[in-house]
Amino acid sequence: MALTRNPSFTNPDPCSHLAEYRQTHGLKGYSSLQAHLRTAPTGRTAIGKLPSLIRRCAFCSLRRGRFYLCLICSTVSCSDHAAAHAGSNPGHDIAVDVDRAELFCCRCADQVYDPDFDIAVMVKQIVKLPESRESSRCRKRRANPVNFKDGVLTEAGLGAGRAALLHTPPLKDHFLSDRHGREFCCRGRRRTRRWGMVSGELPCLACDVAGVFSEVFSGARRPYSPAQFLYSWWQHSSDLAGYEQQDAHEFFISMLDRIHEKEQPDLQNRGAGDCHCIAHRVFSGVLRSDVTCSVCGFTSTTYDPCVDLSLDLEPCNGIKSNDNSRISTLMGCLDLFTRPEKLGSDQKLYCQHCEVRQDSVKQMSIRKLPYVLCFHVKRFEHSLIRRTSKKIDQNLQFPFSLDMMPYLSSSIIRNRFGNRIFAFQGDESDMSSEFSSEFEVFAVITHSGRLESGHYVTYLRLRDQWYRCDDAWITQVTEGVVRASQVYMMYYLQKHGK
Amino acid sequence: MRSSINRPPTPDVDEEPEKEPTLQEIINIKLIESGEKEKLMELLRERLIECGWRDEMKAICRAYARKKGRNNVTVDDLVHVVTPKGRASVPDSVKAELLQRIRSFLTSAAI
Repeated sequence: MALTRNPSFTNPDPCSHLAEYRQTHGLKGYSSLQAHLRTAPTGRTAIGKLPSLIRRCAFCSLRRGRFYLCLICSTVSCSDHAAAHAGSNPGHDIAVDVDRAELFCCRCADQVYDPDFDIAVMVKQIVKLPESRESSRCRKRRANPVNFKDGVLTEAGLGAGRAALLHTPPLKDHFLSDRHGREFCCRGRRRTRRWGMVSGELPCLACDVAGVFSEVFSGARRPYSPAQFLYSWWQHSSDLAGYEQQDAHEFFISMLDRIHEKEQPDLQNRGAGDCHCIAHRVFSGVLRSDVTCSVCGFTSTTYDPCVDLSLDLEPCNGIKSNDNSRISTLMGCLDLFTRPEKLGSDQKLYCQHCEVRQDSVKQMSIRKLPYVLCFHVKRFEHSLIRRTSKKIDQNLQFPFSLDMMPYLSSSIIRNRFGNRIFAFQGDESDMSSEFSSEFEVFAVITHSGRLESGHYVTYLRLRDQWYRCDDAWITQVTEGVVRASQVYMMYYLQKHGK
Repeated sequence: MRSSINRPPTPDVDEEPEKEPTLQEIINIKLIESGEKEKLMELLRERLIECGWRDEMKAICRAYARKKGRNNVTVDDLVHVVTPKGRASVPDSVKAELLQRIRSFLTSAAI
């Protein structure tokens, strides 16, 4: 349990009546209630006996408003007469709101909360969770991610990725204000030695990145060839060096790794989640994964740091059925990413409560947003039957302004569990208050062609104008051109607010 | 003491006449039994969320709870505060749509 807790997520203490009820009856009432719970397809859980019988006050025959079912004697009362029922029957204090499956104390005349009750309700709800059709289809596709090979020279994949990184404002600020300290960099003996390297001594990649930044932003109009940077990078990533063609996403990840490696020894940090190197300060976020046991309702929550979000493409449903064009949106992909997914019976996870492997439901959400959000669209499909992979050429619509609030852990958990208390137990400070949840796109990497051979192009958005960066050629374009292309990676920057 | 001879007859406790269900009650029961009421509720919920009505109500409740203090507010309080404002601010288009649905249900159920 965390030492400091955000007050809005603290479990309220039970009222004396609830505490007494629990002492006398324990969990019997909750378990016998489970049999009568019914979950609608929308996810609302209610008491499901014959509705015309239930929704009628025993005292006044009122049929409108809220009804409370006494946990002891199953008498139904309206909100006006609940207190009367408790008054005339001592011990009959605790009731359940019939339409919402929430606890009510008739004596306090207010809603009360009990984590064990919520767990009992949730277990019933999980069993009824509709099996997402996509998850069964996607499972066939989710084999080894295949990478895109790229165009003419090795550079295009790097070039596209690098163009995006060059225009990531926080990275640009960091390197241009010489935070890396080239002068003092222990590996930075480049001033005296350019290409000749003592064997075994790797050039400092961060110095070269800084070099690229200063050349690019120097204002000089001559074309710039980042040969030094490329050489440096090949030295570090020998597995990716050579004339082999590269995948932009791999490049991005490897760049961040290298920058992190260079800076990390100088900074004290406890791990990638808390790392203060520039790469992680800019791109690192935290993902939350909740795995709920379908049998006992016990949920285990884990937090993992991440530098980007890899999204499956939303399977297309054309908006009009006669329209054959496939339209999927970024929001749709994010919905898919954060949807609760029933794990298949071949993926049973160990439940600490039951102490065996059980069927479970997993849900992802974003606990902490990074300063710069990088989305990676998984455009490959691997067919196990035919043992081939192919690229999915579907247009993905993305907004220029994006609000990530609905995908944060606080929103996702609240939507799934409603007022259920237990979901937030042990949760530390509300991390969403640190950052704004609104983002603006500033760079997009697109890919055209096939899996084995294709071409990357980067589009940059500067001061509301889009520029197309195609290897050595930079042209101004309209936003229509950007929207019509097939995005592979998207970079969003947090809007300044707080 | 003289007992009043005009005393009204003692009402027989068991003889409570079954009240004739009103038209409204009949319609309500038919709606529930056919499952139409649940569909209408879902439709209504969807429309009210879409038009931002629910967010408005949430904001009103939050403001009220903040003013009164978190521990001094009960569900009943909130219901009494919010109900008149809520009823008044339902958009006309939503009312019209639901009325239309109920009408077509009634004609199909031949009441």
